[in-house]
Amino acid sequence: MNQIAPGPAQTAASRATTTFLNYQQRRFISKLALTFILGFLAIIMILPFVWMISTSFKTGNEVFNYPIEWLPAHPVFDNHIKVWTEGFLTYYLNSLKISFLCMIGSCFWGALAAYGFSRIEFKGRDQLFFLYLAMLMIPPQILFVPRFIMFNWAGIYNTHWALILPGQFTIFGVFLLRQFFKGIPREISESAAIDGAGHLRIFSQIILPLAKPALVTFCILDFSWNWNNYEDALVFLVDRNLYTVPLGLTNFIGEHNVDYNGMMAAAVAAIIPMLIVFLVGQKFIIQGVANTGVKG
Amino acid sequence: MKMSWSKRQKFAGYLFIAPNMLGIIIFFLIPALISFVVMFTDLDFLSKAPVNFIGLDNFARVFSDETFYTALKNTFIFLLAVPVSIAIAVFLAILLNNKIYLKPILRAMYFMPYITSSVAIAFVWSLLLQPTSGPINGFLRSVGLADPPRWLASTETSMYGIDLIMVWYTLGFNMIIYLAALQEIPTELLEAAKIDGARAWQTTLRIILPLISPTTFFLLITGLMGAIKTFGLIQAITQGGPGDSTVVLSLFVYRTAFSYYELGYASAIAWVLFVIVLVITAIQWVGQKKWVYSN
Repeated sequence: MNQIAPGPAQTAASRATTTFLNYQQRRFISKLALTFILGFLAIIMILPFVWMISTSFKTGNEVFNYPIEWLPAHPVFDNHIKVWTEGFLTYYLNSLKISFLCMIGSCFWGALAAYGFSRIEFKGRDQLFFLYLAMLMIPPQILFVPRFIMFNWAGIYNTHWALILPGQFTIFGVFLLRQFFKGIPREISESAAIDGAGHLRIFSQIILPLAKPALVTFCILDFSWNWNNYEDALVFLVDRNLYTVPLGLTNFIGEHNVDYNGMMAAAVAAIIPMLIVFLVGQKFIIQGVANTGVKG
Repeated sequence: MKMSWSKRQKFAGYLFIAPNMLGIIIFFLIPALISFVVMFTDLDFLSKAPVNFIGLDNFARVFSDETFYTALKNTFIFLLAVPVSIAIAVFLAILLNNKIYLKPILRAMYFMPYITSSVAIAFVWSLLLQPTSGPINGFLRSVGLADPPRWLASTETSMYGIDLIMVWYTLGFNMIIYLAALQEIPTELLEAAKIDGARAWQTTLRIILPLISPTTFFLLITGLMGAIKTFGLIQAITQGGPGDSTVVLSLFVYRTAFSYYELGYASAIAWVLFVIVLVITAIQWVGQKKWVYSN
């Protein structure tokens, strides 16, 4: 509290207003100061993106000019044109196809399993769920070699199936959706059951509509993981026309490793879709990520 | 005759989980079992020689392989990024949890690196950290540092350069989870502390940090597990170089399997990695009683 010595002429009421105003002002100043500090740090966080975009519009000899020219003096589009004429369209279509099919599959099968694990009681349920969680511990390094052997044997090595099929099944998604389904009041589905509805109807007509926010969150997260999945593509895809965006990006950079502007234009192309998804679905993504931590 | 509702219900349970379960068995459980067998063999994808069971030879080789010890050391340096990122994140989250302007925008800005492709990030940072003419060293020189670090180009600093990128990459994620945890702290508690005359740093140290310690524990476990599995980011930035200075264990497994095609040996290293994950997790479970608050 502010220590203001009350002058003799000041009434109790006016004293109250002075302190009140001061308090308001102090809050305003501290709010503004904090905003400035955090805003400054946030700008530093996104500077690499700004630099990347700015560099992608520069010509070769301007890249490392210091002080940094954040706005290129003579913006050029050549770098972006080159990226798109050298295969990025194919990589985009491949990534879109794979990410979309994985998202639909893992969301659907994941929601079914999450319903089973959260709203039906059956023998061995909790033990099975524990097994799921235990499998989350297995590092992917263990799975690469046997999957490589299996996919070779099944003839799907070096095809998109090697990414799409495993991508249909999610452990994390079951975990996330189960958590959400558990929060839906029992009475809702019980009254439907009394009216004779089976589980399939309760699932599709009651639970799914209520769980829409959780489903959207999971779909966005799953899509972004698949879109950014570099490691599986690196192990399982060989032919260039099958490349996904991250793999195509490394390939492009391998071929143009002194063309820094081209590299940055390719990097911009790779992150633009996720940036758009993030800007549109920001609320869902951040909420979803927050939920995994607090309830996990 | 129709089954009773409760009987049908039990049966339905298995049907609902069946498709996902089947997929998990095929793509997780069976590969894990295959890997467990392969690690005892000399399976080599390139040689046409018949496969032999060689018992524990692969493990003997792991523990006498110099690259393994280099990778182990590098992995531990890499893991430093996790507590550093968590510490900065908790600090930012506590600040961001105050009344400020533009909160949603700032939050989104911090989170942005996390949703972008690790490969794109790798290339941006490899240019930013370019030792002779990159903008970061340009800045360091302009503020008077005559001899800035050579970052990714030197065997001595390359792993720390990767740590820097990793901290930047994971900071937003950790911060968002902390923000959610901070919202759960009852405001009466903080107000009571204020009335009792506690200063902001005291409240933070004595009330907020202990109350969010379960979140710290969660982030530490998942962060360490996630980092120990990461190899795409490093593969894209340095490919393990210069020399072997950024080969971490997960990258070592990848190289052995898919550059040299020694599948048996790679499987053995992967299981050693798994045991390390288990040990780290176990140590934290035991240690958590000392510092994780529970009601």
